[in-house]
Amino acid sequence: MERTVTLGSKSGLHARPAGVFVQHAKGFQSQITLAKNDKTANGKSILSVLTLGAEQGDQVVLIANGDDAQSAMNELVPLLEGDLG
Amino acid sequence: MKVLHGIPASPGIAIGSAQTIHPVLSVDVTAQRSVDEAVEMTRLAQAIQQAIARLDALRMAAGGSTADILEAQREMLDDPELKEGADAQIATGFTAEAAITRVAASYAEQLASLPDPYLAARAEDVREAGRRIVAELRGISLEIRLDHAAILVAQDLAPAETVGLNPAYLQAVVTETGSATGHLAIVAQGLGIPAVVGVTGALAQIDEGTTLIVDGERGMVTVAPDEVSRSEAETRLATAQRDRRELEVYRDRPGMTADGVRVEVFANIGSLAEAHKAVEMGAEGVGLFRTEFITAHGIPSEEEQYAIYKEVAATLQRPLIVRTFDIGGDKPVQGLDIPAEANPFLGWRGIRLALDRPEEVFLPQIRAFLRVAASYDLRIMLPMVTVPQEVEATRVLIDSALQDLEREGKLARRVPLGIMVETPAAAVTLDQFRGLIDFASIGTNDLIQYTYAVDRTNVRVRERAKPLGTAILRLIEQVCRAGVPVAVCGQLAGDADAVPLLVGLGVRELSVAPARVPAVKRVLSGMTLADMQARAQQRLAV
Repeated sequence: MERTVTLGSKSGLHARPAGVFVQHAKGFQSQITLAKNDKTANGKSILSVLTLGAEQGDQVVLIANGDDAQSAMNELVPLLEGDLG
Repeated sequence: MKVLHGIPASPGIAIGSAQTIHPVLSVDVTAQRSVDEAVEMTRLAQAIQQAIARLDALRMAAGGSTADILEAQREMLDDPELKEGADAQIATGFTAEAAITRVAASYAEQLASLPDPYLAARAEDVREAGRRIVAELRGISLEIRLDHAAILVAQDLAPAETVGLNPAYLQAVVTETGSATGHLAIVAQGLGIPAVVGVTGALAQIDEGTTLIVDGERGMVTVAPDEVSRSEAETRLATAQRDRRELEVYRDRPGMTADGVRVEVFANIGSLAEAHKAVEMGAEGVGLFRTEFITAHGIPSEEEQYAIYKEVAATLQRPLIVRTFDIGGDKPVQGLDIPAEANPFLGWRGIRLALDRPEEVFLPQIRAFLRVAASYDLRIMLPMVTVPQEVEATRVLIDSALQDLEREGKLARRVPLGIMVETPAAAVTLDQFRGLIDFASIGTNDLIQYTYAVDRTNVRVRERAKPLGTAILRLIEQVCRAGVPVAVCGQLAGDADAVPLLVGLGVRELSVAPARVPAVKRVLSGMTLADMQARAQQRLAV
């Protein structure tokens, strides 16, 4: 299951917003992946997410694989589109 | 004897023996393991868990903004990719130490190569996480232990390293890097110990156990002092100690003139550590909390700000005046796009920036303030105000924030609102703010700078500004006649010569560095109000 999302966070995926995202992603059994251009990141890894270097307005692809993929998408998509404060 | 020069970062004088902290932990990144890979992977997993547990304990002890820095490091320690990457390296033959160091370095390089300077700066956090794990693998602690009184000499001291130190043993700090406004300066001032930073080559020139004199006022470190220097330092130390003992009695007394007129003595703070210091020194409240000190890693979210302000308010249990972020061209903030300006002191700063960026800068802070005010005596103060319209616009934002909070079911309370008087414009028209504000506080450093048109950082002209010159005294007199309660929170408020003049002109609250609180109370108690008024009138007439 995947969706292309435009990042809403003013500071992109900096330490604080990235930390918030990772905390939420860890709440799901599913494998969570973020992709930007040709780079992919493990959504449950802060280091991996930070190295994407994603900024506000960037298009990222959110991919969830597993039993709770649908609820992961429901929770994580609005998170990425919001300000992740 | 040798004298080293650095930047004075925290005042005071100390004589003691050096404890040197050398950057340790060199790791051979090509080292091959001699045990089975499963054994090595288990060792690594255990080391990571120990590092996390140690960091958690530190975080509890630290509180406030230091805890936030440690929280970011904890997330990295707990990162599944870090462990998997290191396991893969172990599988190819490396030791756990080499494996984790290689993976941490690889992430650090990737982060450092990103165009965003904020992300690039996280590279150091990953390396630090790697070092923490290596330290656990070797069974050593990265935290510095002090089991006897000593002067610490180090390349630099990270926040995590200073939290665990027993302040009773820490006599002074000397570092090779750092600035007068850096983290270490703030910590040292909070603890009331002298610090000299930016001492180039300190570790090369100071041996473990050498006697040192650290002079935090002049930014000097004397290595292996001769008899003359030593006895001079001992005399100064004895005088300072006697003075401190004499001042003890004033700590728990209210600020009052000799004839019993109340003048509240508050403290200026920038951190939780200084809030503790303010309580310890007997401050009757906080007259200025410089909230921009919490923006070192960008503007924190509303929830993070709420937690910080609440912790400070709970520590104080007395009035807390919070100044909204005083940021601008000379104080850049990560994540905020503030263009470079030719004259940042005359530019887009303080209330001007806040009102132009309500969603990003102002509202999260105001909401956090109003929520803390539901349970504590908190008052809001605005920096860099020039005209009443700025206060009117702020009131509109506060009203809508209160309505939003009520709708969201969050507890909040309307609070007293005041302004900093730091521009001549605000000083001469303060009467026009009546009804809009509940108090005013004179920021003397900026008021002097703007009145005399003298940049206080320009050594060629800074002596031309006269802190107690007629221009300043006349402005203060005018401010005191505006019909608004007036405080002073600039450096002048802690100056023994200035205190009688300020009170004589009508100031009834002085907000000073925490360590100055008892001394200011002593000055107040030594004169009657009538004497202070006479002295002020005499100065105005000259």
